[in-house]
Amino acid sequence: MANKRILIVDDDPDVRQAMHIRLKANSYDTFFASDALSSVTEARKQHPDLIILDLGLPGEDGYVVMERLQCHPALAAIPIIVVSARDARGNQDRVIAAGAQVYLQKPVINAELLAIIRQTLGEPEQPGDAGVTGNWKLLAG
Amino acid sequence: MSKPLQVLLVEDNAGDARLLHEMFRKEKAGSFALTHLLRMTEAVAHLEKGGVDILLLDMGLPDGHGLDTVRRAQAAAPNVPVIVLTGLNDEALAAQAMREGAQDYLIKGQIESRALPRALRHAIERHRMQQEAELIRVNQLQFKDKFLSHVSHELRSPLNAIYQFVTILFDNIGGELTPEQHDYLGIVLRNVKQLQAMIDDLLEVTRVQGGQLAIELQCTSVAEVIAFAVSTLQGAAQAKEIALTMDLGGQLPLVCADPMRVRQILIILLDNAIKFTPPGGSVRIRASAHAQDPNTLVLEIMDSGCGIDPAMTERIFDRLFQASDPALAGRQGLGLGLYICKELVARQGGRIWASGTPGKGAVLSFTLPLFSMRNLLVAALGDIANTPTPVTLVVAEMGSQTGWLSDEARGEHSHGMRELLQRCLHADQDVLLPTMGPSGRAELFFIVAATNLAGGESLARRIQRQFDNRDPALRVGLVLSTSIHSLMAAQHGVNPSDRVSFEAVAEAIHAMVNKELSSRMVVNG
Repeated sequence: MANKRILIVDDDPDVRQAMHIRLKANSYDTFFASDALSSVTEARKQHPDLIILDLGLPGEDGYVVMERLQCHPALAAIPIIVVSARDARGNQDRVIAAGAQVYLQKPVINAELLAIIRQTLGEPEQPGDAGVTGNWKLLAG
Repeated sequence: MSKPLQVLLVEDNAGDARLLHEMFRKEKAGSFALTHLLRMTEAVAHLEKGGVDILLLDMGLPDGHGLDTVRRAQAAAPNVPVIVLTGLNDEALAAQAMREGAQDYLIKGQIESRALPRALRHAIERHRMQQEAELIRVNQLQFKDKFLSHVSHELRSPLNAIYQFVTILFDNIGGELTPEQHDYLGIVLRNVKQLQAMIDDLLEVTRVQGGQLAIELQCTSVAEVIAFAVSTLQGAAQAKEIALTMDLGGQLPLVCADPMRVRQILIILLDNAIKFTPPGGSVRIRASAHAQDPNTLVLEIMDSGCGIDPAMTERIFDRLFQASDPALAGRQGLGLGLYICKELVARQGGRIWASGTPGKGAVLSFTLPLFSMRNLLVAALGDIANTPTPVTLVVAEMGSQTGWLSDEARGEHSHGMRELLQRCLHADQDVLLPTMGPSGRAELFFIVAATNLAGGESLARRIQRQFDNRDPALRVGLVLSTSIHSLMAAQHGVNPSDRVSFEAVAEAIHAMVNKELSSRMVVNG
């Protein structure tokens, strides 16, 4: 089975690289964008299975990206995990309303991110996932 | 030549006033300009217009009494220095007036005409110096907060990159490590985590001190929050072979608290307990109804560690406090954890304290108010019950789908406020509340936000912030309508999807402030 493909949007190259290494080790293919414009272009070109999106981008922010993606019928259905250093309060609701599945606050724990990626992509759970996503659900609720 | 000093004399006794008039007349022309008023109400109106340099205030006016006159004058014109005029036997009252902020007092009948101008100029100069010192103090505090907040934010990104790559190496993703290398990286990782925790504490403290700590009181299940905190720290406890257990004592009542903040408190307290308990010991968390106060729930964290010196039970909640015992202290953080706990508990209407005997373990306890309409509203209402004037209540319902307001209420009054709220959202300035109520202003603005519609809550929060900045005298409360729904559901069997009447909340507020609401204004945003 082909690897699932994930678009990573973050303006910090170190964050992109670390996430790439981590995701590749878990059999995901990744590609990148570092601002709002290029992330929509990449999404159109690559049609990823999932987008991991930072809110704080140079110029237009992650909300603009979500708004643009919602305008493309083909892209609107791609699940989005927002990973941001911004305060969860005030952003969590807004992010979900803007079309994202999950809001995760940086610094993100790797086990948590991977468990949520698997859950979002409808992949089978791995040992330890239930604890992480269970906690996450409590947080989100 | 400098402009004459504008002196406002408020004195109803004709004889006393005449004496002062004459003293001012003896001064060099153009050095003082005296305005004389007889009543406090006139004085307040005059002060609000501005232009007064100093106020000479009699403390026995027909429409003002004692210290109250000083307070009213200062409320009307905080920047005008006040000298109170008292009788021979009122020196104690005069001293109290000075504690309230009056610059000086003059005893009627004993005022020397040569000393009067000096007293006025001294009062003005002293007041100016006080204000300058206060301004410098506030600026320095703000700078310190901004500086700390900025630095901690900026430290986070590189530290996060370090954390990510260290974990990549640690998890052998970058290639197999020798056992030695793995151990060394473990030490790096532990220190990175410690640094992250310190920076988080620092950020949290700057939020606490800057008043930016968001607390959202809502219907909260303590049992769920405890279970979450315990599962978060179970790993740390197991690593030290400490038994971490919870005792929830059957069915616990719901509390009126912020679940995220309670979780934060519990994690700090449990983390501390584990840190101060030797391997093989135990940490227990218990929640139960408060024995004395039926209105609160008490949570206790008990450990089998070294205990707390009875002399230290208060001090441990101070900022930057650290245990002095070198055997236990090691490197343990910034000493901010318990301070943060104290602030978080206080802002949720609870109390925190420590007990236990040295050598026999420590108990840290805190209370949370039970979930009731009263407790839900009390934070938003503040001390409004103690204000002498009637209360004008404005309720704005933001982005609601649930129809919290009746249709009639929606139709009524809503136009002006809607416009106002919109301006408040889109413009950053020049938003004033409309004139309402007998005192000519709104005393209480109450926002009800529904979270079920996108953005309702953040919208309401933004309005709350804007009003808070603009008019500190106005109390702005925010309650999530989901909370009110769950309360109604619990107490009156109302189905959460049913409409809940605005009147129910108005009545609850009315009962609490125990006075007539002078007017009620309702709007849906």
